[in-house]
Amino acid sequence: MSDKRAICLMVMPSLLIFVGIVFVPIVWTFVYSLYSGMPGFNFQFTGFTNYIEMFRNQHTMDSFRVNWRYIMIVTPLQVSFGLLIALMVHFSVRRNKTLVRTVVFIPTILPAVAVAQMFIKMLALIPNHGLVNALLDLAGLEQFIQPWLGQTSTAFTWLCVMDIWTAVGFHCVIIYGALVDVSEEIIEAARIDGAGRLRLFWNILLPCLKTILVTCLVFSFTGTIKMFESATALTRGGPGHATTSMTMNMYENAFTYNQYGYGSAVAFMILLQCIVVTFIVSKLGREKF
Amino acid sequence: MVKLKKNPLAIAGKILIVIFVLVQVYPIFWIFMSAFKTTEEFSLSASYALPQSIHWQNFIDAWTRGRMNIYFKNSAIVTVVSLVFIVLFSTTSAFALTKMRWKLRGKVMSLFLSGIMVPTAVVLIPLYTIYKGMGILNTYSSLVLTYIAFGLSLSIFLLRGYLTAMPDDMMEAAVIDGANIYQVFTYIVLPLLKTGIVTMLVIQFYFRWNDLMFSMTFISDNTMRTVQTGLLFFSDQYGNRNWGAIFACIAISVTPTLAIYVALNKLVIEGMTAGAVKG
Amino acid sequence: MKKKIISSILVIMLITLAFAGCGTGSSDAPPASNASQPAGDSAAAEPAGEARFQSRTINFLSIWDDTDPTQDSYMILDISRQYGETVDNFEILHEFVGIENIDQRISILAASNDLPEIATYESGSRLKALIETGQILNVEETWKELGIYEYLDDGAASLLKNLVDNVGLYAAPLGLNMEGFWYHKELFAQAGITDTPKTWDEFMDVCQKLKDAGIAPIAQGGKDQWPVTRVLNAYAVRSIGNDAITDAMLGKASFTDPEYVAAAQMFADMAANEYFIVGMTTIDHGTSIAMLMNGQSAMLYNGSWVTGNLNSDENAAGPEGIGFFNVPTAGGASGPNDYSMNCGNILVFSADKYDEAVADWMKYVFPRIGDHAMNNNGTFKGYKINDMPEETSYYTQIVANALSGAENAFLWFEAKMDNETSALAQNNITLLYSGEMSPEAYMAMLQESAEKNRA
Repeated sequence: MSDKRAICLMVMPSLLIFVGIVFVPIVWTFVYSLYSGMPGFNFQFTGFTNYIEMFRNQHTMDSFRVNWRYIMIVTPLQVSFGLLIALMVHFSVRRNKTLVRTVVFIPTILPAVAVAQMFIKMLALIPNHGLVNALLDLAGLEQFIQPWLGQTSTAFTWLCVMDIWTAVGFHCVIIYGALVDVSEEIIEAARIDGAGRLRLFWNILLPCLKTILVTCLVFSFTGTIKMFESATALTRGGPGHATTSMTMNMYENAFTYNQYGYGSAVAFMILLQCIVVTFIVSKLGREKF
Repeated sequence: MVKLKKNPLAIAGKILIVIFVLVQVYPIFWIFMSAFKTTEEFSLSASYALPQSIHWQNFIDAWTRGRMNIYFKNSAIVTVVSLVFIVLFSTTSAFALTKMRWKLRGKVMSLFLSGIMVPTAVVLIPLYTIYKGMGILNTYSSLVLTYIAFGLSLSIFLLRGYLTAMPDDMMEAAVIDGANIYQVFTYIVLPLLKTGIVTMLVIQFYFRWNDLMFSMTFISDNTMRTVQTGLLFFSDQYGNRNWGAIFACIAISVTPTLAIYVALNKLVIEGMTAGAVKG
Repeated sequence: MKKKIISSILVIMLITLAFAGCGTGSSDAPPASNASQPAGDSAAAEPAGEARFQSRTINFLSIWDDTDPTQDSYMILDISRQYGETVDNFEILHEFVGIENIDQRISILAASNDLPEIATYESGSRLKALIETGQILNVEETWKELGIYEYLDDGAASLLKNLVDNVGLYAAPLGLNMEGFWYHKELFAQAGITDTPKTWDEFMDVCQKLKDAGIAPIAQGGKDQWPVTRVLNAYAVRSIGNDAITDAMLGKASFTDPEYVAAAQMFADMAANEYFIVGMTTIDHGTSIAMLMNGQSAMLYNGSWVTGNLNSDENAAGPEGIGFFNVPTAGGASGPNDYSMNCGNILVFSADKYDEAVADWMKYVFPRIGDHAMNNNGTFKGYKINDMPEETSYYTQIVANALSGAENAFLWFEAKMDNETSALAQNNITLLYSGEMSPEAYMAMLQESAEKNRA
C-alpha cells in the first residue's frame, strides 16, 4: 500500500490542476494587487498604494459596508429561522416529518439566477403587478404597493429576504438532524424536574445544539461573504450602489474599468476577512463547548 | 417521542409550519403556472390567478428565440465533462490520501481541504488572465478546468468520510492474494464507494449547473453561454416585455435540478448537508 | 495496467478538449491565410484579366442577434450573403456578444492586437481611445480610395468626426438618429392637451395636466439607466447650450456650476412631482416602448430607432397614433431646431486585417446599406438612399422631416464621458430620481470623477 508510482499516478493529476487553478492564482492575485492598471497596458508596480487607495475609495468602502450589513442580517436570520422551524417540526409535527423536510429543502437546490428572476417578477409593479403587489391589492392594502426593487431601502431588504428564503431550509434540515440525536431522556428528565419550555430550550437544547449552530453560522458566513450571484441577478447592485457587495466591487473595478491591480487588492481583502472571521468563529465555538 | 397533545402551542406551531411550507413552495408553483399564461393574461388578470389555458408557445419562444436550446446544450456538456473528471480525480486521490501510506499525505490532504474555504472571487482575475493567455476564453475548456479544480476539495472531503469508514481487511486480503493496487482500487474500493460517488455527483451537479460567476466571466460569446448566464442575458434583452417567455425560461432552467431532486431527494439532502455537518 | 490506460485516455481527452475548445471561440480562429486556400479550380474559372485576389473569411463581431430582421447584424449579413454569391470562397463569421460584454471584448482583442475585420463599438471617448492605439482603419481615407465615400451621409460623417474631437473618421455609422419626445396622441386628447409643448414651461404644464387626468406622463426604462440620463441631458443642453456636457468634461465649465446643478434640480423636481411613472427604475427600455404603444404612459424620450417598433404590428396605437416633438426649449441657449443626434452603434475595422478582400467586400456592402434599411425597416442608417420608397410610413416621415430640418446637433449625456464618469452618472441617476441623492451631490460626484480621469 505504498507503491510510489501508483500514488503519483493517483494524486498528481488532481494535485496539479488544483494547485494550478486554485492556489497559484491566489498568490498571483496578491502580486497583481501591488500593481496598478492592467497587464500589457500601463501595468506598473506601485507597492501597497492600492490598499491605501481602497480606504479612500468611497465606492469600495460602501461595498464593504453593504456586504457586512448583509452578513450581519442574513447569517443570523438564516440560522435562527432554521432553528425555529426545526424545533417546530420536531415538537409539533408527528406525521409527515420527512415530507416537510423534503419540501422545505427545495429552494436550496435552485440556481440563484432563476430564484432572482422569480423574485423580480414577484416584486414587479409595472407594467403588471407581480405576486406581492397583487396580493397587497387583494388585501386592500393599496398604500403599500410600491416598486420594491426600485428603492434603495426596500431593494436591500428584499435581497436579504430572498437569500434567507433560499437557505433557511438547508439550515433547518441540518439542525433538525442534530435535534433528533438529542437524547429524549434528558428532555424527559428536565421536564419531570419542572423545567418550563423556555428553560428547556435554553438550558438543555441549546447547549446540545451549540456545535451544529456554530457549524451553520460558519457555513452561512462563507456564503454571505461571497455575496455576488443573487445580488447580481436581482438588482445588478442597484439602485445606485445599494446592493453592491465587495465581490461585485472587485468585479466592476477589474472587468469594467480594467483596473486589474486595484480589483486584485479588493479580492485579497475579501480573502483576508474570510480567513479572520472563520478563525474567530471556530475558536469561539470550541471554547464555549 | 415527546407528547404535546392538544396543546395550543403545538397547534400554532403546526399552522406556522403549513404557512412556512407554502412560502417555500408556492413561488415555484407560481413560476410554472405563469409560464403557461399569454401576454394578455398578465395585464388583464391578477398574477396569482391560474392560467386560462395551457399556452405552450412560451416554452417554444424560450427554447428557440431565447436560445435556451443552445444554453442547455452548453451547460449539459460543461457539467457532464467536468463531473466525469471530478469523479476520476477525486476517487483516485481520496483513495491514495486515505488508504495508502506515504510521507506527504497529511500535508497534501490539508492542502485539498483548505480549498473549501477559498472564496472564488479571489482567483477570478488571475484565472481570467491565464485563460486569456492560453486563448481558451469563450471555450468549454475554461469552464471545465475551473469546475474540476473547484470541485475537488469538497469531493475529496466527502469521499474521505466514506473511505475512512471502510474496513481495511478486505483490501489487505486482496493484496495478500496477489492483487495489485489498481485491481484493489477498481474491484474492491470503487464498488464499495458507490453511494459516496453518487452523493458527490449530485452535489457537484448542483454547484456546476448553478454556477454564474465563472461562466459570466469567461464566456462572452452568446453561442457559448450556459443556462444561468443565458437566463440573465435573456432577461436583460427581453426584460419584462415578454413575461411568459421569461417564466418559461426560468421553468426550463430549474427543471433539471428539480427532477434530480425529486428522484434522489434523500441523497441530495444527505450530500448537501454532509459538507456542513462533518466540517 | 488498467489504470495506465485510463490515465492515458484521460490525458488524451484533456488535450482534445483543450483543442476542441480553442476552435469553438470563433474569434480565436485565425483568418484563413490566402496561401492555404485551395487554388486549383478557381484559377481556371476566373476570367482572364480579372485575377483579383483570393477572397476569404471575414470575422464580424456585433451586439445583435442575427435572427432578428430589424437588427443591424441581420442587415449586414444579408447583404454579405448577396455578395457571397458573386465571389468564390467568401465567408462571413458572425459572433454575437452581449452589449454589456462588448467593451471588455474589444479591449481584450485590442490588447492582443487581434481586432476582427469588422466590429461594432460605441462612439465618443471610447472610440477615441481605440483610435489612439492605431489599430483601426481610417474610414475616410480608405473609402475615398475605394470610391465609396460619397455613399456616406454628410451629416453622419461630420457627427462621427465631432464625437472623437475631429481626429478623423475612423468609424462607419449604423444609424442617423435624432432624439426627442414621442407621445400618445389619444392620451394627450384625453387630458385636453391640443398643442405639443414648445418651451420647457409648457412641457411642465403638459405633464401636470396628464397627471391630473390620471395618466402617467413619462415612462423611461430606468433599469437600463441611459434612457433616464437622456432626460436630464435634454434640459441641461437646452438651458446651458449644445456643448454643455462636453465643456464640463473638458474643464471649460464645471458640473458644480449653478446652471448644471439647476439642470439636475429640474430633473429631481420632475421626479418629485411624479411626472415619471412610479416604479420607473424597475422597467427596461423595451418595456417603456411597449407601455407607450399600449397607452400605459403618455410620453417617452427616445431616439428615431424606435420607428422600427412603431412601424411594426406590435404598435397598439396604430400607424399614426404616436406623435413626436423635439426637446422643448429653455431659454435661448439651444435652438428649437437643434436636435440630439447620433449615429447609433458604429462599425470599426481592423487596420491590420484590411486587405484587398475586405476592400472588395466593403465596396459591395456599404453602398447598399442605405436602401436595404429603408426598404426593409423604414430606418435611416447614415448612408445615401438611392431608391427611396414612394410611400414611407408616417413615423419614417417624422424622422425624415426632423433630419432635414435640423440646424445643429448635440450629443447624449455620456458621449464625452470616460468609463468611470459614465458609469457613475448612470448608476446614480436612480438615486437622483428617488431623491436619495441631492442634485448638488450628483453633480459634485461627476465633477470629481471628471477631474480625476482628466488628470
